[in-house]
Amino acid sequence: MPKPAESAEGSIYDLGYRKYEGVRLGRRHAVFSLYIHSLRGIFGFGRHKSSKIIPIGLTIIALLPAIIQLGVISIASEVIEPSGLFQPADYFEYVQWLLALFVAAVGPELLGRDQRNRTLSLYFSHALLRSDYVLAKLAALATALITISLVPQILVFAGNALSGDDALEYLRHNWGDVAPIIVSGVLISLLMSSVTLAIASQTPRWQLASGGVIAYFGITFALGSILVSSLPNGPAGYSLLLSGFHVARGITSWLFGLTPVLSDEGEGGLAQADIPLFLYTVAACVTIAIALAITYRRYRRLIV
Amino acid sequence: MPLLTTEAITKRYPGVTALDTLDLSLEPGIIGLVGANGAGKSTLIKILLGLLQPTSGQATLLGYDVLRQGTDLRQFVGYLPEHDCLPTDVSATEFVTHMARISGLPHTAARERTAETLRHVGLFEERYREIGGYSTGMKQRVKFAQALVHDPRIVLLDEPTNGLDPAGREEMLDLVQRTGHDFGIAIIMASHLLSEIERICKHLVVIDAGRLIRSAPIASFTERMQALVVEVEGDSTALAKRLAESGLTVREEGDLVVVGLEDDRPYDIIRDSVVDLGLGLIRLEQRRQSLEDIFQSHEPEASDAKAG
Repeated sequence: MPKPAESAEGSIYDLGYRKYEGVRLGRRHAVFSLYIHSLRGIFGFGRHKSSKIIPIGLTIIALLPAIIQLGVISIASEVIEPSGLFQPADYFEYVQWLLALFVAAVGPELLGRDQRNRTLSLYFSHALLRSDYVLAKLAALATALITISLVPQILVFAGNALSGDDALEYLRHNWGDVAPIIVSGVLISLLMSSVTLAIASQTPRWQLASGGVIAYFGITFALGSILVSSLPNGPAGYSLLLSGFHVARGITSWLFGLTPVLSDEGEGGLAQADIPLFLYTVAACVTIAIALAITYRRYRRLIV
Repeated sequence: MPLLTTEAITKRYPGVTALDTLDLSLEPGIIGLVGANGAGKSTLIKILLGLLQPTSGQATLLGYDVLRQGTDLRQFVGYLPEHDCLPTDVSATEFVTHMARISGLPHTAARERTAETLRHVGLFEERYREIGGYSTGMKQRVKFAQALVHDPRIVLLDEPTNGLDPAGREEMLDLVQRTGHDFGIAIIMASHLLSEIERICKHLVVIDAGRLIRSAPIASFTERMQALVVEVEGDSTALAKRLAESGLTVREEGDLVVVGLEDDRPYDIIRDSVVDLGLGLIRLEQRRQSLEDIFQSHEPEASDAKAG
């Protein structure tokens, strides 16, 4: 109940400040709240309308192939072999540039707004530690990426299963794909997110940060491809371990138990490099660790 | 239990000492922290908030060790920074709710208290609009609201009236005073404007160049506030010089000579000096000095920087 104002000057504001006697949930809750708030912010919820255009647009584009395949399956499953359009192991090849565009578009804003607006001094003067901040932001960006990369695959998997004559039969045959789909999706999302944070944390200016993220994926991809095609079967093959896209391909090939073949467009580079496939997964974990260390170092030193 | 204690707290940067072995012990209340720009006010506040690590020394706030129990302590602390700290493309309601949850409040409580707190600071229908379109005064209220939304036990305000027009200043000071007085929330308010501190604070801490000049109840400052205004016909500068030589605290204001009145001694000295110099005494009047007058006569460095 608002209490009645007792003095004339008090009547302007004094409509009901009360003491708070409830629970205070502390640091874990603070991290979780920052995670939820950041995840909403990535897709533009709670922000200006124009903030939604790019992330929602890219999400829809990412979902389109899956929706088209589901449509094809449901209309013409007798003519076209189900699961004929794309294989789960190849999925990231189709969407890798889309995902890179997505992190380049939303990653710099995810971190840059707090630096530009100087909201960090409020965060760090509450129960949040600087490492908590980095982890909450990583979790938010990775969740967004997992959403737009895994959901379509799960849709396709479910669509394939339901469109066949015998869903149980399909599941029995393809059950082995489920774990690789999920593990590769999570690992690749963490890889792209952590690299994006490491680059975006360095500058509050989104133009620089976005350019940096695109340049990272583009340049390492191009360099790796050129090196292995001009110097195949040599130590140049290890250069692919620095390339985000090649590493993503290596993770999926290894997890799905495929052997890269030269003729395949996407796996060609991996076949030429001819290094053990598990190294790509190791490289992903090392890259994630280094990227997080760089990000944390930046925030530990940042004067707010 | 004291609100705040610091033991030899020191912050050095290469080439600069921002805080120099500062010892403080303060009881709860509305506390003013005065000093020139660069005197170390913001540095002290940021150390208490864990935003800066001191080079050496200890500090406790609300009984918590600032360096070791920071995450527990900061659930009960609100902070209004000197600089902008608000996102532009969200509404005040959205932002303050978010900060309430960051402060540890569950979702429902965060929403309720956001509505109450925004009303308390005087934001009504505007609270659903984007902060980017707000005036400076409204932004300052949002900053105050986010510092208060989790019902902290202490609020640290760094220049809360920065950038406000005179009416806005008055309203902000009223708000601060009511928050401290009516709700029993301890307040440490840093300001370079003595008149603001004088109006609402019970206790005054004066620092300059990182050193403690004085920490005392505001009443002990106002004891020194009585002054005599002397107006003479003739050379007032000569009179001022003579009075200063006699050991009085003297300041010239145009043709007037203002003399600090700590006891009855000045009356006789002024009378004798006027006669000796052969001046005509036009007016001799008691006046209450403001804190600013005191610092103008006692701390020339502080008054220089006050203008800047």
